[in-house]
Amino acid sequence: MRRIALLLALSCALIDQAANLTLPDKPKSVKFAVIGDGGTGARPQYEIAEQMLDYHNQFPFDSVLMLGDNIYGGQKAEDFKRKFEDPYSALLGAGVKFFASLGNHDGTNERLYKPFNMEGKRYYSFKKGDAEFFALDSNYMDPEQLDWIKKQLSGSGARWKICFFHHPLYSDGRMHGPDLDLRKLLEPLFQQYGVQVVLAGHEHFYERIEPHNGITYFVLGNSGQLRMHNVRGSPDVAKAFDTDQAFALMEIDGDQLHFQIVSRTGATVDQGVVAIAAKVDKEK
Amino acid sequence: MNRPGALLLTCCSVAASACAQEKVNAGAQVLADFQKRVAEYVKVHKVARAEVHGLKPTDSPEAIERHERKLAHEIRESRRGAQAGDIFTPPIAEEFRRLIGEIMSGPDAGKIRASLRSAAPVSLPVLNVNDPYPAGVALQSTPPSLLMNLPQLPPELDYRVVGRTLILRDVEANLIVDSIPNAIP
Repeated sequence: MRRIALLLALSCALIDQAANLTLPDKPKSVKFAVIGDGGTGARPQYEIAEQMLDYHNQFPFDSVLMLGDNIYGGQKAEDFKRKFEDPYSALLGAGVKFFASLGNHDGTNERLYKPFNMEGKRYYSFKKGDAEFFALDSNYMDPEQLDWIKKQLSGSGARWKICFFHHPLYSDGRMHGPDLDLRKLLEPLFQQYGVQVVLAGHEHFYERIEPHNGITYFVLGNSGQLRMHNVRGSPDVAKAFDTDQAFALMEIDGDQLHFQIVSRTGATVDQGVVAIAAKVDKEK
Repeated sequence: MNRPGALLLTCCSVAASACAQEKVNAGAQVLADFQKRVAEYVKVHKVARAEVHGLKPTDSPEAIERHERKLAHEIRESRRGAQAGDIFTPPIAEEFRRLIGEIMSGPDAGKIRASLRSAAPVSLPVLNVNDPYPAGVALQSTPPSLLMNLPQLPPELDYRVVGRTLILRDVEANLIVDSIPNAIP
Protein backbone atom coordinates (compact mmCIF):
# COMPACT_ATOMS: atom_id res chain seq x y z
CA MET A 1 0.00 0.00 0.00
CA ARG A 2 2.84 2.37 0.92
CA ARG A 3 4.56 1.55 -2.37
CA ILE A 4 1.40 2.41 -4.31
CA ALA A 5 1.03 5.69 -2.43
CA LEU A 6 4.65 6.48 -3.14
CA LEU A 7 4.20 5.70 -6.84
CA LEU A 8 1.09 7.88 -6.97
CA ALA A 9 2.89 10.77 -5.29
CA LEU A 10 5.80 10.35 -7.67
CA SER A 11 3.60 10.29 -10.77
CA CYS A 12 1.68 13.37 -9.53
CA ALA A 13 4.99 15.12 -9.03
CA LEU A 14 6.01 14.18 -12.60
CA ILE A 15 2.74 15.48 -13.99
CA ASP A 16 3.18 18.73 -12.07
CA GLN A 17 6.67 19.02 -13.43
CA ALA A 18 5.55 18.36 -16.99
CA ALA A 19 2.51 20.63 -16.86
CA ASN A 20 4.16 23.92 -16.11
CA LEU A 21 1.22 26.25 -16.47
CA THR A 22 1.99 29.90 -17.08
CA LEU A 23 -1.62 31.05 -17.57
CA PRO A 24 -3.43 32.89 -14.76
CA ASP A 25 -6.14 30.18 -14.51
CA LYS A 26 -8.79 32.54 -13.14
CA PRO A 27 -12.02 30.98 -11.89
CA LYS A 28 -14.45 32.57 -14.36
CA SER A 29 -12.20 32.98 -17.38
CA VAL A 30 -12.81 31.42 -20.83
CA LYS A 31 -10.38 28.54 -21.17
CA PHE A 32 -9.71 26.62 -24.35
CA ALA A 33 -7.05 24.67 -26.19
CA VAL A 34 -6.11 24.76 -29.88
CA ILE A 35 -4.78 22.04 -32.17
CA GLY A 36 -4.06 22.09 -35.89
CA ASP A 37 -3.19 19.46 -38.49
CA GLY A 38 -3.45 16.87 -35.79
CA GLY A 39 -5.29 13.93 -37.35
CA THR A 40 -2.44 11.67 -38.40
CA GLY A 41 -3.08 8.79 -36.02
CA ALA A 42 0.68 8.57 -35.46
CA ARG A 43 2.56 8.53 -32.18
CA PRO A 44 3.25 12.30 -31.95
CA GLN A 45 -0.47 13.07 -32.11
CA TYR A 46 -1.03 10.75 -29.13
CA GLU A 47 1.84 12.35 -27.25
CA ILE A 48 0.37 15.80 -27.81
CA ALA A 49 -2.99 14.47 -26.58
CA GLU A 50 -1.27 13.17 -23.42
CA GLN A 51 0.26 16.57 -22.79
CA MET A 52 -3.13 18.19 -23.32
CA LEU A 53 -4.59 15.87 -20.72
CA ASP A 54 -1.79 16.66 -18.25
CA TYR A 55 -2.45 20.34 -18.65
CA HIS A 56 -6.18 19.80 -18.47
CA ASN A 57 -5.71 18.45 -14.95
CA GLN A 58 -4.33 21.84 -13.92
CA PHE A 59 -6.12 24.09 -16.36
CA PRO A 60 -9.62 22.69 -16.97
CA PHE A 61 -10.33 23.98 -20.47
CA ASP A 62 -13.76 22.93 -21.69
CA SER A 63 -13.23 23.25 -25.43
CA VAL A 64 -10.66 22.60 -28.14
CA LEU A 65 -10.54 24.48 -31.44
CA MET A 66 -9.43 22.34 -34.38
CA LEU A 67 -7.72 24.24 -37.19
CA GLY A 68 -8.32 21.65 -39.89
CA ASP A 69 -6.73 18.49 -41.25
CA ASN A 70 -8.56 16.74 -38.48
CA ILE A 71 -8.58 13.35 -40.20
CA TYR A 72 -5.81 12.64 -42.71
CA GLY A 73 -6.13 9.90 -45.29
CA GLY A 74 -9.40 7.97 -45.45
CA GLN A 75 -12.69 8.94 -43.87
CA LYS A 76 -13.66 5.50 -42.63
CA ALA A 77 -14.82 4.71 -39.10
CA GLU A 78 -11.39 3.34 -38.18
CA ASP A 79 -9.81 6.63 -39.29
CA PHE A 80 -12.06 8.61 -36.98
CA LYS A 81 -11.27 6.18 -34.17
CA ARG A 82 -7.49 6.13 -34.60
CA LYS A 83 -7.07 9.81 -35.49
CA PHE A 84 -9.61 11.40 -33.15
CA GLU A 85 -11.58 9.23 -30.76
CA ASP A 86 -8.65 7.24 -29.33
CA PRO A 87 -6.05 9.99 -28.87
CA TYR A 88 -8.52 12.38 -27.24
CA SER A 89 -10.67 9.77 -25.47
CA ALA A 90 -9.76 10.98 -21.97
CA LEU A 91 -10.52 14.61 -22.84
CA LEU A 92 -13.78 13.61 -24.54
CA GLY A 93 -14.61 11.54 -21.47
CA ALA A 94 -13.99 14.57 -19.28
CA GLY A 95 -16.63 16.46 -21.27
CA VAL A 96 -14.27 18.61 -23.35
CA LYS A 97 -15.97 19.74 -26.57
CA PHE A 98 -14.06 19.88 -29.85
CA PHE A 99 -14.99 22.52 -32.44
CA ALA A 100 -13.62 21.70 -35.89
CA SER A 101 -12.90 23.71 -38.98
CA LEU A 102 -12.19 21.94 -42.27
CA GLY A 103 -8.73 21.57 -43.80
CA ASN A 104 -7.76 20.48 -47.28
CA HIS A 105 -7.26 16.92 -46.02
CA ASP A 106 -10.74 16.71 -44.50
CA GLY A 107 -13.81 15.29 -46.16
CA THR A 108 -16.58 17.89 -46.33
CA ASN A 109 -18.91 15.46 -44.60
CA GLU A 110 -16.88 15.70 -41.39
CA ARG A 111 -19.33 18.51 -40.70
CA LEU A 112 -21.89 15.76 -40.00
CA TYR A 113 -19.73 14.14 -37.32
CA LYS A 114 -21.33 15.21 -34.04
CA PRO A 115 -18.17 15.25 -31.87
CA PHE A 116 -16.80 18.00 -34.17
CA ASN A 117 -19.76 20.23 -33.13
CA MET A 118 -20.22 21.72 -36.61
CA GLU A 119 -23.95 20.89 -36.69
CA GLY A 120 -23.78 19.95 -40.33
CA LYS A 121 -22.31 23.31 -41.40
CA ARG A 122 -19.05 24.17 -43.15
CA TYR A 123 -18.87 27.42 -41.18
CA TYR A 124 -20.50 28.41 -37.91
CA SER A 125 -20.03 30.44 -34.75
CA PHE A 126 -20.45 29.92 -31.03
CA LYS A 127 -20.12 32.01 -27.89
CA LYS A 128 -18.29 31.46 -24.65
CA GLY A 129 -18.34 34.13 -21.99
CA ASP A 130 -16.97 37.36 -23.44
CA ALA A 131 -15.84 35.68 -26.64
CA GLU A 132 -17.43 34.69 -29.91
CA PHE A 133 -15.65 32.14 -32.08
CA PHE A 134 -16.10 31.98 -35.85
CA ALA A 135 -15.13 28.79 -37.65
CA LEU A 136 -14.64 29.33 -41.38
CA ASP A 137 -14.15 26.98 -44.29
CA SER A 138 -11.07 28.46 -45.97
CA ASN A 139 -11.11 25.68 -48.57
CA TYR A 140 -14.11 27.24 -50.17
CA MET A 141 -14.60 30.93 -49.42
CA ASP A 142 -17.55 31.54 -51.71
CA PRO A 143 -19.61 34.77 -51.79
CA GLU A 144 -22.26 33.19 -49.58
CA GLN A 145 -19.75 32.47 -46.82
CA LEU A 146 -18.25 35.94 -47.15
CA ASP A 147 -21.72 37.46 -46.70
CA TRP A 148 -22.29 35.22 -43.71
CA ILE A 149 -19.07 36.19 -41.90
CA LYS A 150 -19.67 39.86 -42.62
CA LYS A 151 -23.16 39.62 -41.10
CA GLN A 152 -21.98 37.60 -38.10
CA LEU A 153 -19.07 39.88 -37.29
CA SER A 154 -21.05 43.08 -37.74
CA GLY A 155 -23.85 41.76 -35.55
CA SER A 156 -21.62 40.37 -32.83
CA GLY A 157 -21.55 42.22 -29.53
CA ALA A 158 -18.83 40.01 -28.09
CA ARG A 159 -15.84 41.72 -26.52
CA TRP A 160 -13.54 39.14 -28.13
CA LYS A 161 -13.94 38.02 -31.72
CA ILE A 162 -11.78 35.07 -32.65
CA CYS A 163 -11.73 33.54 -36.13
CA PHE A 164 -10.28 30.13 -36.85
CA PHE A 165 -9.81 28.26 -40.11
CA HIS A 166 -7.21 26.24 -41.98
CA HIS A 167 -5.29 28.39 -44.49
CA PRO A 168 -3.17 31.15 -42.93
CA LEU A 169 -3.47 34.75 -44.08
CA TYR A 170 0.07 35.32 -42.81
CA SER A 171 2.78 32.73 -42.66
CA ASP A 172 6.51 32.54 -43.14
CA GLY A 173 6.52 28.90 -44.14
CA ARG A 174 8.79 27.77 -46.93
CA MET A 175 6.30 25.09 -47.94
CA HIS A 176 3.02 27.00 -48.40
CA GLY A 177 3.25 30.62 -47.39
CA PRO A 178 0.24 32.88 -46.89
CA ASP A 179 -2.96 32.67 -48.88
CA LEU A 180 -2.89 36.17 -50.36
CA ASP A 181 -6.18 35.87 -52.21
CA LEU A 182 -7.95 34.87 -49.01
CA ARG A 183 -6.20 37.65 -47.11
CA LYS A 184 -7.36 40.24 -49.61
CA LEU A 185 -11.00 39.38 -48.88
CA LEU A 186 -10.96 38.49 -45.18
CA GLU A 187 -8.51 40.89 -43.61
CA PRO A 188 -10.52 44.07 -44.35
CA LEU A 189 -13.58 42.45 -42.72
CA PHE A 190 -11.57 41.38 -39.69
CA GLN A 191 -10.22 44.90 -39.30
CA GLN A 192 -13.55 46.59 -39.87
CA TYR A 193 -15.40 44.47 -37.34
CA GLY A 194 -12.75 44.28 -34.65
CA VAL A 195 -11.45 40.71 -34.77
CA GLN A 196 -8.51 40.48 -32.37
CA VAL A 197 -7.17 36.98 -32.91
CA VAL A 198 -6.98 34.74 -35.98
CA LEU A 199 -5.90 31.11 -35.73
CA ALA A 200 -4.90 28.99 -38.72
CA GLY A 201 -3.08 25.73 -39.47
CA HIS A 202 -1.92 24.22 -42.79
CA GLU A 203 1.76 24.98 -42.15
CA HIS A 204 3.21 22.20 -40.04
CA PHE A 205 4.85 24.37 -37.43
CA TYR A 206 3.97 27.05 -34.89
CA GLU A 207 4.30 30.72 -35.67
CA ARG A 208 3.03 33.89 -34.03
CA ILE A 209 3.02 36.83 -36.39
CA GLU A 210 3.66 40.41 -35.28
CA PRO A 211 0.22 42.09 -35.03
CA HIS A 212 -1.19 43.63 -38.19
CA ASN A 213 -3.65 46.47 -37.62
CA GLY A 214 -4.51 45.21 -34.17
CA ILE A 215 -4.94 41.57 -35.16
CA THR A 216 -2.69 38.85 -33.80
CA TYR A 217 -2.27 35.92 -36.18
CA PHE A 218 -1.27 32.48 -34.95
CA VAL A 219 -0.30 29.56 -37.18
CA LEU A 220 -0.50 26.20 -35.43
CA GLY A 221 -0.31 23.23 -37.75
CA ASN A 222 1.97 20.93 -35.81
CA SER A 223 -0.30 19.11 -33.38
CA GLY A 224 0.29 15.86 -35.28
CA GLN A 225 2.27 16.80 -38.34
CA LEU A 226 5.66 18.47 -38.32
CA ARG A 227 7.73 20.13 -41.02
CA MET A 228 11.13 20.65 -39.45
CA HIS A 229 13.02 23.93 -39.93
CA ASN A 230 10.40 25.29 -42.28
CA VAL A 231 9.94 28.81 -40.94
CA ARG A 232 12.00 31.30 -42.86
CA GLY A 233 13.47 34.26 -41.03
CA SER A 234 11.33 37.37 -41.31
CA PRO A 235 10.77 40.54 -39.29
CA ASP A 236 7.12 39.50 -39.27
CA VAL A 237 7.84 36.51 -37.04
CA ALA A 238 7.18 37.30 -33.39
CA LYS A 239 7.92 33.72 -32.39
CA ALA A 240 8.31 30.44 -34.26
CA PHE A 241 8.75 26.82 -33.30
CA ASP A 242 9.38 24.23 -36.00
CA THR A 243 11.34 21.46 -34.35
CA ASP A 244 8.59 19.51 -32.60
CA GLN A 245 4.81 19.12 -32.35
CA ALA A 246 2.82 21.57 -30.23
CA PHE A 247 -0.63 22.72 -29.10
CA ALA A 248 -1.93 25.94 -27.57
CA LEU A 249 -3.72 26.82 -24.36
CA MET A 250 -5.60 30.10 -24.22
CA GLU A 251 -7.42 31.97 -21.53
CA ILE A 252 -9.60 35.03 -21.89
CA ASP A 253 -9.89 37.14 -18.79
CA GLY A 254 -11.51 40.53 -19.29
CA ASP A 255 -9.51 42.54 -21.81
CA GLN A 256 -6.68 40.06 -21.95
CA LEU A 257 -6.14 36.85 -23.84
CA HIS A 258 -3.28 34.83 -22.37
CA PHE A 259 -1.66 32.13 -24.45
CA GLN A 260 0.80 29.34 -23.79
CA ILE A 261 2.19 27.10 -26.51
CA VAL A 262 3.27 23.68 -25.28
CA SER A 263 5.47 21.21 -27.12
CA ARG A 264 5.16 17.44 -27.32
CA THR A 265 7.65 17.14 -24.44
CA GLY A 266 5.68 19.57 -22.27
CA ALA A 267 8.02 22.51 -22.72
CA THR A 268 6.52 25.98 -23.05
CA VAL A 269 7.75 27.32 -26.38
CA ASP A 270 5.85 30.61 -26.41
CA GLN A 271 3.68 32.55 -24.02
CA GLY A 272 2.23 36.01 -23.78
CA VAL A 273 -0.82 38.22 -23.68
CA VAL A 274 -2.95 39.80 -26.37
CA ALA A 275 -4.72 42.81 -24.91
CA ILE A 276 -7.69 44.59 -26.43
CA ALA A 277 -6.59 48.03 -25.27
CA ALA A 278 -2.97 47.86 -26.35
CA LYS A 279 -2.91 47.64 -30.11
CA VAL A 280 0.76 47.59 -30.96
CA ASP A 281 0.88 47.44 -34.72
CA LYS A 282 3.97 46.62 -36.62
CA GLU A 283 3.37 46.66 -40.31
CA LYS A 284 5.78 45.17 -42.79
CA MET B 1 -10.08 65.47 -88.22
CA ASN B 2 -12.17 65.89 -91.41
CA ARG B 3 -15.83 64.88 -91.49
CA PRO B 4 -15.48 61.54 -93.35
CA GLY B 5 -12.71 60.57 -90.91
CA ALA B 6 -14.86 61.39 -87.89
CA LEU B 7 -17.78 59.49 -89.40
CA LEU B 8 -15.58 56.44 -90.01
CA LEU B 9 -14.32 56.59 -86.42
CA THR B 10 -17.88 56.82 -85.06
CA CYS B 11 -18.98 53.85 -87.22
CA CYS B 12 -16.02 51.76 -86.01
CA SER B 13 -16.73 52.63 -82.40
CA VAL B 14 -20.43 51.76 -82.74
CA ALA B 15 -19.55 48.49 -84.47
CA ALA B 16 -17.01 47.57 -81.78
CA SER B 17 -19.46 48.37 -79.02
CA ALA B 18 -22.19 46.32 -80.74
CA CYS B 19 -19.75 43.44 -81.14
CA ALA B 20 -18.78 43.58 -77.45
CA GLN B 21 -22.47 43.70 -76.47
CA GLU B 22 -23.14 40.70 -78.68
CA LYS B 23 -20.33 38.81 -76.92
CA VAL B 24 -21.74 39.69 -73.51
CA ASN B 25 -25.21 38.56 -74.56
CA ALA B 26 -23.82 35.32 -75.97
CA GLY B 27 -21.88 34.77 -72.72
CA ALA B 28 -25.00 35.42 -70.65
CA GLN B 29 -26.98 32.94 -72.74
CA VAL B 30 -24.30 30.30 -72.29
CA LEU B 31 -24.24 30.87 -68.52
CA ALA B 32 -28.04 30.71 -68.38
CA ASP B 33 -27.78 27.33 -70.07
CA PHE B 34 -25.22 26.30 -67.43
CA GLN B 35 -27.58 27.33 -64.61
CA LYS B 36 -30.37 25.32 -66.24
CA ARG B 37 -28.17 22.23 -66.38
CA VAL B 38 -27.10 22.75 -62.78
CA ALA B 39 -30.75 23.05 -61.71
CA GLU B 40 -31.52 19.78 -63.51
CA TYR B 41 -28.66 18.10 -61.70
CA VAL B 42 -29.87 19.44 -58.34
CA LYS B 43 -33.28 17.88 -59.02
CA VAL B 44 -31.57 14.52 -59.49
CA HIS B 45 -29.59 15.07 -56.30
CA LYS B 46 -32.71 15.93 -54.30
CA VAL B 47 -34.63 12.89 -55.52
CA ALA B 48 -31.66 10.66 -54.67
CA ARG B 49 -31.30 12.31 -51.26
CA ALA B 50 -34.97 11.75 -50.50
CA GLU B 51 -34.46 8.12 -51.48
CA VAL B 52 -31.65 7.66 -48.93
CA HIS B 53 -33.38 9.90 -46.31
CA GLY B 54 -30.68 12.56 -45.91
CA LEU B 55 -28.50 12.50 -42.81
CA LYS B 56 -28.47 14.57 -39.64
CA PRO B 57 -25.28 15.03 -37.60
CA THR B 58 -24.37 11.74 -36.00
CA ASP B 59 -21.81 10.18 -33.67
CA SER B 60 -21.30 7.38 -36.16
CA PRO B 61 -18.64 7.81 -38.87
CA GLU B 62 -19.97 4.55 -40.35
CA ALA B 63 -23.36 6.22 -40.87
CA ILE B 64 -21.69 9.18 -42.61
CA GLU B 65 -19.66 6.94 -44.88
CA ARG B 66 -22.67 4.75 -45.64
CA HIS B 67 -24.82 7.78 -46.41
CA GLU B 68 -22.21 9.26 -48.76
CA ARG B 69 -21.86 5.92 -50.56
CA LYS B 70 -25.61 5.32 -50.86
CA LEU B 71 -26.28 8.85 -52.09
CA ALA B 72 -23.49 8.56 -54.67
CA HIS B 73 -24.91 5.23 -55.81
CA GLU B 74 -28.44 6.64 -56.23
CA ILE B 75 -27.15 9.62 -58.21
CA ARG B 76 -24.95 7.40 -60.36
CA GLU B 77 -27.93 5.17 -61.12
CA SER B 78 -30.05 8.17 -62.11
CA ARG B 79 -27.26 9.53 -64.26
CA ARG B 80 -26.19 6.29 -65.87
CA GLY B 81 -24.64 7.23 -69.16
CA ALA B 82 -23.65 10.71 -67.93
CA GLN B 83 -20.58 11.92 -69.76
CA ALA B 84 -17.99 14.63 -69.46
CA GLY B 85 -19.42 17.71 -71.11
CA ASP B 86 -23.05 17.06 -70.17
CA ILE B 87 -23.03 20.11 -67.90
CA PHE B 88 -19.87 21.81 -69.08
CA THR B 89 -20.88 21.64 -72.74
CA PRO B 90 -18.19 22.91 -75.16
CA PRO B 91 -19.64 26.47 -75.26
CA ILE B 92 -20.04 26.54 -71.45
CA ALA B 93 -16.50 25.21 -70.96
CA GLU B 94 -15.23 27.86 -73.36
CA GLU B 95 -17.06 30.60 -71.48
CA PHE B 96 -15.60 29.34 -68.17
CA ARG B 97 -12.11 29.32 -69.67
CA ARG B 98 -12.68 32.86 -70.86
CA LEU B 99 -13.92 34.02 -67.44
CA ILE B 100 -11.07 32.33 -65.59
CA GLY B 101 -8.55 33.63 -68.13
CA GLU B 102 -9.87 37.13 -67.60
CA ILE B 103 -9.57 36.89 -63.80
CA MET B 104 -6.15 35.34 -64.01
CA SER B 105 -4.76 38.02 -66.24
CA GLY B 106 -6.30 40.83 -64.19
CA PRO B 107 -4.85 42.85 -61.32
CA ASP B 108 -5.33 39.99 -58.81
CA ALA B 109 -3.63 37.36 -60.95
CA GLY B 110 -0.54 37.25 -58.72
CA LYS B 111 -2.59 36.75 -55.57
CA ILE B 112 -4.67 33.99 -57.17
CA ARG B 113 -1.58 32.16 -58.37
CA ALA B 114 -0.06 32.52 -54.88
CA SER B 115 -3.29 31.18 -53.42
CA LEU B 116 -3.18 28.17 -55.75
CA ARG B 117 0.45 27.52 -54.80
CA SER B 118 -0.18 27.81 -51.06
CA ALA B 119 -3.18 25.50 -51.27
CA ALA B 120 -1.06 22.33 -51.63
CA PRO B 121 -1.89 21.55 -55.27
CA VAL B 122 -3.14 18.08 -56.07
CA SER B 123 -3.01 16.09 -59.27
CA LEU B 124 -5.15 13.12 -60.18
CA PRO B 125 -4.33 10.90 -63.11
CA VAL B 126 -7.95 10.07 -63.93
CA LEU B 127 -11.07 12.18 -63.47
CA ASN B 128 -14.23 10.42 -64.54
CA VAL B 129 -17.76 11.71 -64.30
CA ASN B 130 -19.71 9.74 -61.66
CA ASP B 131 -16.51 8.66 -59.87
CA PRO B 132 -16.14 9.60 -56.23
CA TYR B 133 -13.48 12.18 -55.47
CA PRO B 134 -10.75 9.79 -54.30
CA ALA B 135 -10.54 9.11 -50.57
CA GLY B 136 -7.27 10.20 -49.05
CA VAL B 137 -6.55 12.79 -51.73
CA ALA B 138 -6.60 16.37 -50.44
CA LEU B 139 -9.32 18.70 -51.70
CA GLN B 140 -7.44 21.68 -52.97
CA SER B 141 -8.95 24.98 -51.92
CA THR B 142 -10.48 27.12 -54.66
CA PRO B 143 -9.18 30.72 -54.72
CA PRO B 144 -11.95 33.01 -53.48
CA SER B 145 -11.44 35.47 -56.36
CA LEU B 146 -12.30 32.69 -58.79
CA LEU B 147 -15.43 31.90 -56.80
CA MET B 148 -16.45 35.55 -56.81
CA ASN B 149 -16.33 35.62 -60.60
CA LEU B 150 -17.78 32.26 -61.57
CA PRO B 151 -21.52 31.57 -61.64
CA GLN B 152 -22.72 30.91 -58.11
CA LEU B 153 -23.66 27.33 -57.32
CA PRO B 154 -26.38 25.88 -55.10
CA PRO B 155 -25.10 24.34 -51.84
CA GLU B 156 -25.29 20.84 -53.30
CA LEU B 157 -22.33 21.57 -55.60
CA ASP B 158 -18.89 23.13 -55.46
CA TYR B 159 -16.04 24.00 -57.82
CA ARG B 160 -12.68 22.39 -57.10
CA VAL B 161 -9.33 22.77 -58.75
CA VAL B 162 -7.26 19.69 -59.60
CA GLY B 163 -4.06 20.69 -61.33
CA ARG B 164 -5.31 22.79 -64.25
CA THR B 165 -8.73 21.14 -64.28
CA LEU B 166 -11.86 22.66 -62.78
CA ILE B 167 -14.18 20.07 -61.26
CA LEU B 168 -17.85 20.34 -60.49
CA ARG B 169 -18.37 18.20 -57.38
CA ASP B 170 -21.44 16.99 -55.55
CA VAL B 171 -20.52 17.98 -52.00
CA GLU B 172 -22.59 15.51 -49.98
CA ALA B 173 -22.12 12.55 -52.33
CA ASN B 174 -18.45 13.51 -52.93
CA LEU B 175 -19.01 12.73 -56.59
CA ILE B 176 -17.40 14.21 -59.68
CA VAL B 177 -20.28 15.65 -61.70
CA ASP B 178 -18.30 17.16 -64.55
CA SER B 179 -14.95 18.80 -65.28
CA ILE B 180 -13.21 21.28 -67.57
CA PRO B 181 -9.66 20.29 -68.51
CA ASN B 182 -7.16 23.12 -68.91
CA ALA B 183 -9.50 25.57 -67.25
CA ILE B 184 -6.67 27.16 -65.27
CA PRO B 185 -4.24 28.91 -67.64
